[in-house]
Amino acid sequence: MTKHAVSCTVNGEDQVVEVLASRLLSDMLRDDLNLTGTKRGCETGICGACTVLVDGKAVKSCLTLAIQVRRRKVTTIEGLRHENGELHPLQQAFIDHMGLQCGYCTPGFIMMACAMLGRTPNPTREEIRAGLSGNLCRCTGYMSIVESIKAAAEKMAGHRS
Amino acid sequence: MRDFELLEPRSPEEASRMLADHGEEARVLAGGTALLLGMRQRLVTPSHVVYLGEVPGLSTIEYDEATGLRIGALSTIAELADSELIKTRYPMMAAMARQVANPQVRNAATLGGNLCYGDPALDPPTCLMALDARVIAVGSEGSRSISLVDFYQDYFLTALRPDEVVTRVDIPPLADGTAGAYTRFTRTAAEHRPLVGLAVVARRQGGLCRDARITIGASTPIPVRAKRAEQFLEGKKVTRDILEQTAEIAAADIEPLSDSRGSAEYRRDMVRVVLGRTAAAVFGLFAD
Repeated sequence: MTKHAVSCTVNGEDQVVEVLASRLLSDMLRDDLNLTGTKRGCETGICGACTVLVDGKAVKSCLTLAIQVRRRKVTTIEGLRHENGELHPLQQAFIDHMGLQCGYCTPGFIMMACAMLGRTPNPTREEIRAGLSGNLCRCTGYMSIVESIKAAAEKMAGHRS
Repeated sequence: MRDFELLEPRSPEEASRMLADHGEEARVLAGGTALLLGMRQRLVTPSHVVYLGEVPGLSTIEYDEATGLRIGALSTIAELADSELIKTRYPMMAAMARQVANPQVRNAATLGGNLCYGDPALDPPTCLMALDARVIAVGSEGSRSISLVDFYQDYFLTALRPDEVVTRVDIPPLADGTAGAYTRFTRTAAEHRPLVGLAVVARRQGGLCRDARITIGASTPIPVRAKRAEQFLEGKKVTRDILEQTAEIAAADIEPLSDSRGSAEYRRDMVRVVLGRTAAAVFGLFAD
C-alpha cells in the first residue's frame, strides 16, 4: 500500500507524517504524534471524545482520515494552554466548576466549547446545550459542563473588554 | 479498517474515469462521516477510494432568480445551515440542516455525500425532494440531471451509474406565496435516527392550496412523494379537517419499514400525525 505524506500544522507546529491512506486522524494524533489528550471513545462519530479543531472547526477525528487534514491547521487539547503555561480559560473553568469527573470526555467537550465560543462568544445556556449535542458525558449530568462553559465565556469576554 | 489505495482526481471527469477503472471495488469519499463509519465496520471494504477533496469548485452556493439555487456537492451541511442565501430563499432547508446529526458531523458531512449514501433516515433527501431538487452527475457519457424522485431506487440504492459522481444539486426557485416545512420526528429526544422525516411545500393562493409537494422519508425504504394526498389537496380550501384527510391518505399509501425503531403500524400512524402537524404549520393552522 502506498504511503502518503501528511503535512499540516498541529498546535502551531509544522508536521509531516507518513501514513497509509486508511490512517485515521485520531490515530495519527495519538499514535504518531503522541498527542494522547484526544480520546478514542465510541469510534462511531457519536460520543465526541475525539473532537479536535480543523481550521477552527470542530470535527470528529475518528471519522476523519489523516490525509484529509493536509495543509490544514489542527488544534488539539494540548494546543490550548497559553505559552506561559497558564491553562486556557475553558480548562480552568472546567476545574473550577467541576465540569469533569472521570475526565475521559473532557478534551472533546473543551474543544467543542472552544469552537462554539469562537462563533458565539456569549452563548445562552440553550445555545451551549445545542452546541454540545455531539458530545456525551456519562458522569456529570451536563449541568456543571454547561456552567463551566458559561463561566469561561464570561471570563473571556472580560479579557476582551 | 481495511487498507486501500487513495486516488485523488483533480476534476469530476477524472474521478469518473477512476471509478470506471475500478468498478465496484471503488468508493467515493467526500466528508467521510458515513463512508468511514461503514468502512470501519467492514460493511464496505473498497480496494480504492476516490477522494474528491482535491477537486476544485465543488463547494459554491449560488442563487439566480431564473434558475434557482445551485449547491456544489462538497458543500457541508453546516454551510447549508449558515448560508444567508438558503436562510432567506429556502428557510426550511436551512432549518433542516441545523438539525442534521450533531455539530461536528455537520462540519464534515457534505450534501453530495449525504444524498448519494441512500440511507432513508437522512434528513436532506426528504426535504430536498419536496423542493424538487435534482442532482447533476458526471460520468463517462457526460453529465446528466436526475430528479431526486428518480434518483432514489431502493433501500441504499440510487440511480447513479458506477462511473458517475455527483457534482451539484439544483433547486428551482419557489413561486411567490410558496411556503414549506420539514419535520424530523424522533421517538425520544435522545434518538439519533428519525422515525419519520416529512416535508410539505405548497403555494397558498388566497385560502386555496396549489402545487403541494409532500414527501415522506425515514419510515419508508426510500423517500417518496405522497402523490394521492397531493392531488387531494389541489385547489382545496385548507382546513384542519382537510389536512386530517390528507394525512390519512398519505399514511395509507406508504409501505412502511418495520424494525426495532418502530413497527410498520406505528410508523404509519406517526406519518399521519407528523404530516398533519407539518402541513398545519405550513398553512398557519394549529394542529391537534
